[in-house]
Amino acid sequence: MSELILVEGVSKRYVTSSGPVDALRDVSLSVGAGEFCTLLGPSGCGKSTLLGMLGGLVAADTGRVVIDGRPVEGPDPRRVATVFQDPGLFPWRTTLANVEFGLELQGVPAARRRRVATDLLGPLGLREFAAKYPRELSGGMRQRVAIGRALAIDAPIVLMDEPFGALDEQTRVLMGEWLLDIWRRTRKTVVFVTHSLHEALALSTRVAVMTARPGRVKSVLELPMPYPRAMESAELVALRAKLWADIRDESLRAIQER
Amino acid sequence: MTRQILLIRLAILVALLGAWEIVGRTANPLLYVPPSAAVPALARLLALDSYPDLAQHLLLTLREILVAYALAIVAGLGCGFALGFNRLVGRAYGPILAALYAVPAVVWYPSLMLFFGLDAASKIAFGFLLGFFPITLAVLAGIRQVSPQLLVVARAFGADGLTAFRKVTLPAMLFTLVGGLRTGLALTVVGVIVGEVLGSRSGMGSLINHAYGLFRTADYIALVAVTLLLVVGSDAIASLVEHRAQRWTE
Amino acid sequence: MDRITVRVRAVQALSIGALLLAWEGVARAGWVDPLFVPAPSAVARALARIGATVFAGLGDTLLKTAIAYVLAVVIGVGGGILLGSVRALRQATNPFVIALYGMPKILVLPWIVLFLGFGAAPAIVYATIHGVFPILVLVTGAVRDVDRNLVTVARAFGARRWQLYWKVVLPAIVPTVLAGMRLGIVFCLLGVLVVEMFAGVRGMGYVLSSLANGFQAPELFAATAVVSAASIVIVLSLDSLNDRLSQWRGESR
Repeated sequence: MSELILVEGVSKRYVTSSGPVDALRDVSLSVGAGEFCTLLGPSGCGKSTLLGMLGGLVAADTGRVVIDGRPVEGPDPRRVATVFQDPGLFPWRTTLANVEFGLELQGVPAARRRRVATDLLGPLGLREFAAKYPRELSGGMRQRVAIGRALAIDAPIVLMDEPFGALDEQTRVLMGEWLLDIWRRTRKTVVFVTHSLHEALALSTRVAVMTARPGRVKSVLELPMPYPRAMESAELVALRAKLWADIRDESLRAIQER
Repeated sequence: MTRQILLIRLAILVALLGAWEIVGRTANPLLYVPPSAAVPALARLLALDSYPDLAQHLLLTLREILVAYALAIVAGLGCGFALGFNRLVGRAYGPILAALYAVPAVVWYPSLMLFFGLDAASKIAFGFLLGFFPITLAVLAGIRQVSPQLLVVARAFGADGLTAFRKVTLPAMLFTLVGGLRTGLALTVVGVIVGEVLGSRSGMGSLINHAYGLFRTADYIALVAVTLLLVVGSDAIASLVEHRAQRWTE
Repeated sequence: MDRITVRVRAVQALSIGALLLAWEGVARAGWVDPLFVPAPSAVARALARIGATVFAGLGDTLLKTAIAYVLAVVIGVGGGILLGSVRALRQATNPFVIALYGMPKILVLPWIVLFLGFGAAPAIVYATIHGVFPILVLVTGAVRDVDRNLVTVARAFGARRWQLYWKVVLPAIVPTVLAGMRLGIVFCLLGVLVVEMFAGVRGMGYVLSSLANGFQAPELFAATAVVSAASIVIVLSLDSLNDRLSQWRGESR
């Protein structure tokens, strides 16, 4: 099976004021079409950098990043859409205008933009907030708008960098459920960055555990269980223990590094 | 990288001076005085050659500035605190103050000249007027940005009104206040100088006027240089005080 | 209107009314020299007498101000975007900009008049210089401080260079541009008035200074009131425009 996303031997070094820092070293990963792949790892392990490479915002020092058979050379909104931890909504645009943003950049005519965005508002749960400005929305709503903006351009791959990181526990769980629903309806390929074990287990079909800096892929787990996940089932409890065992050392090392 | 920036700055400075020199030598000598002619004019000025009573005029300008500034501080602090602490007074007169601030201050100057005459008093009044507004506004802004939480804490520890003011409000607003005082000084200085240039018999501004009127352009440039020294000097002192205040609030 | 607003308006109205009455009373009782402090009634009558001159002068001044203002906004915003975007340029020119901003511009006024003579030109040039700096400094800061996240988002969605400016930077700096424009109009008007007073150029400044020289106190007060009112109206209009365009920001101002 040819993978949609291929990362081979990728490294990234940053030069900081306190010396060079290896963010990633020899990372290899593959993601198939339609998968929900989670990058799990402690803070500072380079998962955001890796996501940035997939999105064409960061260039790799070594190795290659290939999407749909083509090497990544820059942001390609026809193939990849990104959702960041900070929703990054334009405060001067209404919800509808924010969702339309990507389409606007691509020169889609106004009437069609309006239609696509309006149609998305229903599943986003934002139909009554179409004319509201970001400052009038809650954190969860803003992130939904950001996700809507990413979905609007209809790219086959959606990258998400800890999108629910700034939300409270309950909202996170509900947003996760909502996201799953959207994913299954739209059949996109999702690469999801998180440091939450719960999210990794509840949402993904594949989990890649990353080491502390310099980041490498430590292990990859397949999660073929059906949705919605029965988090208390023996299978998942065992998987959780395995994930925690994998990640525990890395988290310790990450803490000690600071 | 920083070395590069410094070099660019130096290059700009040299280019400007060079252009000034070239234009000065080739064009109308009444209008364009190159740096090579301006420097000797400055020397002549400082030697009290071109204007023997330079010191008197300089001192007069300084005196006007100091008096105007002192008045601006007293009135500015007074009004600022009066408006800041009484909710009704603040909300009633605040908008009026803001509206007056929207009027270019020079509009009042002819009335001041009518009332106070051509001498120092009108310059002091004008300088006062210009310096008063930023100080008042700074007091208001400073009071407004004191977190009410801090006052709640002070009250919980048994502080009464005056103590709370001294130990909480004042230190919390000191930084904004000092910034306003610095701006007030800068504007007072501008006000006094503008007043003198627009019509006076003595003071640095009047000398500038005099030189300009007689087409003594080189002397005019020298006078401007000395006046600039005054301006920069006063702002430097204010900046020092501001830094000292910053150290206290940290 | 809620109770507080009613009380506020009452205080304002009563204060102004009391001030005018006291002023009128003091002037009529002869406690102040009518040569220096005319009664409000005298001022009102004077306004009727010289209304034509005053408004002609005001029109003159406002025309020059408008031209200078347009120039100041264009140069200030354009320059601000340039300096805000190109870091090396900004850092290299920073000390020069600050020095020029802090210098009392009146010191170069005699030279400008020497150079440009006694027409509308020195007033426009001087007022432009006056108004450019606050706008330039504000816009430079705003462009420099545009939220990096928004730029990253736009790039992630494939924005090209011009799209970054058009769809992210420009909308983001609108509030600051408006704040700068509000400052700029007062500075430009001030610049024009100063030149008119200094060089005896036709306009409101000249009207005011010649009335003062002629010791015509009631007329002077009337003219001062007119130009003050005009300035307040202009600034308040800009403020309400600012509010209208900044709905997305909410209550902040």
